[in-house]
Amino acid sequence: MRTVQIVGIGHTMFGNLSEYDLVDIMSFASLNALEDAGILDKRDLVEQVIVGNMGAGMLSHQSGIASSLVSRIKMEPAMAELVENGPASGASAVKMGYAVIAGGLADVVLVTGGELMRDVTGWEATDFVASLLHPEAEYRYGLSLPAFGGMFTRMYMERYGLTEKELAMVAVKDHENGNKNPFAHVKLSCTMEAINEGPHASVVNPFIAEPLRLYGMCPVSDGAASLILCAADSSKMKYFKKEPVTIAGIGSATDTHCVHNRKDPLILDAVRISAERSYKMAGLKPDDISFAELHDAFIILELAISEEVGFFKRGKAREAVVKGITNINGSLPINPSGGLKSKGHPLGATGVSQIFELVKQLRGEAEKGRQVKNPKTGMAVNFGGFGNNVVTTICTKE
Amino acid sequence: MGKEELEKKLRPPLLELKDYPAKYITVASGDKMVVRQCTHKDVSVLLGAIIPLIGATKDFYDIVAARMYAEILGWYRYRVANEYVLAGTIDGEIVGIVNGRLVDKDIGMSYHTLAVRRGLRIGAHLFAAKMEYHLEYLKQSEVWIVAESPIGFRRWMIEYSLENRGDKFPKVYHELGGVPTYALTKKLYDKVKDQKVTGTRPVDSKLLSTADTLKLPEEYVQIPGFRRSKK
Amino acid sequence: MFDPDIYKLYEEKEEQVFAFRCPSCKKVHYPAPMICDKCNTRRDPSNVYFSEWEKIPLQGECTLLSWTKVYALPEGYEVPYLLFGIVEFQNKIRASGRLSIERPETGMKLNARVDVVKKRGDKEIHGLIFS
Repeated sequence: MRTVQIVGIGHTMFGNLSEYDLVDIMSFASLNALEDAGILDKRDLVEQVIVGNMGAGMLSHQSGIASSLVSRIKMEPAMAELVENGPASGASAVKMGYAVIAGGLADVVLVTGGELMRDVTGWEATDFVASLLHPEAEYRYGLSLPAFGGMFTRMYMERYGLTEKELAMVAVKDHENGNKNPFAHVKLSCTMEAINEGPHASVVNPFIAEPLRLYGMCPVSDGAASLILCAADSSKMKYFKKEPVTIAGIGSATDTHCVHNRKDPLILDAVRISAERSYKMAGLKPDDISFAELHDAFIILELAISEEVGFFKRGKAREAVVKGITNINGSLPINPSGGLKSKGHPLGATGVSQIFELVKQLRGEAEKGRQVKNPKTGMAVNFGGFGNNVVTTICTKE
Repeated sequence: MGKEELEKKLRPPLLELKDYPAKYITVASGDKMVVRQCTHKDVSVLLGAIIPLIGATKDFYDIVAARMYAEILGWYRYRVANEYVLAGTIDGEIVGIVNGRLVDKDIGMSYHTLAVRRGLRIGAHLFAAKMEYHLEYLKQSEVWIVAESPIGFRRWMIEYSLENRGDKFPKVYHELGGVPTYALTKKLYDKVKDQKVTGTRPVDSKLLSTADTLKLPEEYVQIPGFRRSKK
Repeated sequence: MFDPDIYKLYEEKEEQVFAFRCPSCKKVHYPAPMICDKCNTRRDPSNVYFSEWEKIPLQGECTLLSWTKVYALPEGYEVPYLLFGIVEFQNKIRASGRLSIERPETGMKLNARVDVVKKRGDKEIHGLIFS
C-alpha cells in the first residue's frame, strides 16, 4: 500500500458562525489548507475532494455539498464525494481520502470536514444528533447522546469509584489547553473551586444529564477543518514546502446500534478494535504514542477511550488524571487542543480537526503553553454514534 | 401650574422598595461576580454599557438593549413606577444587567435580562437574582415574565416551569408589548431555587468596593472588533 | 402462501413493545434484526408472509442497570427534564426507555409497561415506561 502523508492543514474558528453558509466555512478551511501547503495558486494539483459532514441536509437544507465546495473554491473538474458517518464523519473522510490515494485513484486529495449547527436552536441540534440513535428502541423515547453519556458515566462511577471531582479535573485540564488555542469555541480557563468545590458550584455547573454536568459535555459548535493528503511516492510531493506528517495507521470499527445490546455497556469494542487496527497498520503499540486527541464529547469518554486504546488499565485513567500524566507537561498529554470540551464539536469537522491538531503538534507549531514537548507520534480517536462507529488515526513525524 | 408642580403630576406614586442585599457568585472562570442594586448615580455607566448593543442584531440583543435603555431612562426620570435595576460586575466591569418593577405589593413585572459577557451563564444567574429579589426580599407572591428571544423562552418558561396565564388574556397581559404572560409563583420558585439561585452574603467590603464605581465593558463578543477607545 | 390470519392486522390492539424470537435457534432479539446473528435465519418485518418469528411482549419485572435525568432535551419535549434508564428483563433481554419514578437507584427492581412516550401532532407514540 502507498504511504500517505499530510502536506497542508487548515482550520476555521469553532463557535457560532451561523451568519455564514456551510459551504463558505468549509471553503475557508480548505483555502487555509491549500495556502498552508503552498499550492493556493496550483489548486489543479488536487485531483479529489472528500467532504465529511453529517447534517447539511437536515440542518442547512443543502445536498451535494462536496460538488458545491469544489465550485465555491474554483477547483473544477476535481473529483468530489461526501462521507457521512455521524460525529465521526471527519475522520471517515480522511480514511476515504487515504483509500483513494492508496488505491491509486489520485495522488493529491483535499479532505474537508464541516458542520453548521448553530443556525438552529440547541433543542433542534440535540434532536438532529439524536437522529443517529435506533429509531424504534432509542430515539422515540427522547433519548439523546447526552442521555447515553449520563448513563455511561453513572455505570463507570459505580464500577470504578470515579468521582465528580476527578471528572471536573479533566474539564479544567481541557479548558486550560483550549484557552490557548486560537480556534477554540469556549476559550476560558475554569477553576476547580468554581465548577466543583466551591459553594456555588452546583448552580454554576448544573446537571445536564445526571451525573454529567455542564462542564462534563461539549458545546454545540460550527466550524470546519481541512487537510491536504499526498502520496509519498508522488512526483507532486515537490510542490509542498512543509515537512510532511505521515498517516502511519488508520482504522475503524463498528459496534451494536443499541447501547443496551452490548454485553458490557462499559466496554467500547469499536474504540478498542479501531485502535488495534491502526496500531497494527502502523506497527506501533500504545507505549509509542506521544500524545492523543480523544473524542471527549462527554468528559467521561476521554477517560474510557484512553483505557480502551491501551494507555491505561480499565478504571485507572482517573489515577492518571490525578497524577497529571495527561496534562500538557505530563508524560502522555491528552487533548492539547482543548478537546471537544473546550475547542468545540462541529460534528463533521471534529475528526479532521483532531488530525489537524496531530499535524500541528508534530510540526511543533502549537501555541505557547500547549505545545507537547518533542512529540514523535500522535493518535486521534473520533467517536461516532454512542460508540457504534469509531475511527482511530495514528500520525508520525517520519 | 408651575413647572415643578407639573413635574410632580408626571411622576407616578412610588412604593417603598426594600434593598436587594449584594451577593457574589464564583462563576466558572473563577471570577467573582458581584450582584448589587443600582442607584441613580450608576445610570450614566449603565446606559453607556447598553448603548453599543442596540446595534447588535444577532440573538435579539438589539431589542433587549433598546428597551432596557429606555426603561432605565424612565426610571432615572421618574416615569416608571417602582422600578429597580441590578447589575452583575466582575472587577467592577459590568457583565450583565437585569431590571423589573413592582405592579403592586404582590405582583412583580420582570423586564429584561441583558448578558454582556457570554459563556459564563451570567444571564441565568442574574435572572435568578431578579426572581430572588421579587419573591424573597420584596416578599411578592408572583412575577410576570415574557421572553423576547426563543432562548429566553425556553430558559425561563421551561426550566422554571412557569404558569401560562395566556387563558386570561387580554385581561391579564405583560407590560412588554401587551402580550399574554407567564408567571413564576413563589411555589414554583421554591421548587427550583436550589438549582437556580446561588450566591454568598454578605460580600466582604474589599470585594464589594470593586463594584462601587461601575466600569464600562471593554469588549463585546456580540460586536466583533469592538474595542472601547483608550483615552 | 396466503396467511389466513392476515385480517388480524386490522384489529385495534393494545400498544405493545415486542422482542422477537428466532424460529430456528430460539435466540430472543430486541430490537429485531433482519437476520439472526446466531444462526443466520432471515426475518420478514411485514409479518405477512412469514410470521414464524415469535413476538414476545416486553413487560413486567426488570432490573435497572443505569439511569439518567436529562435537562437538555431534544426538540419536541417541553418539560424541564425527563428520566431515562436501561433495564434487564428476567429473560436477560435489555431495553432502554423512560423512567417514571423520581428517585431511581441502580439495581432496583422495576415494572415495565407500555404507554405514550411522545405526541407528534395528534399521533401518540408508545414505548416502554419503567416504574
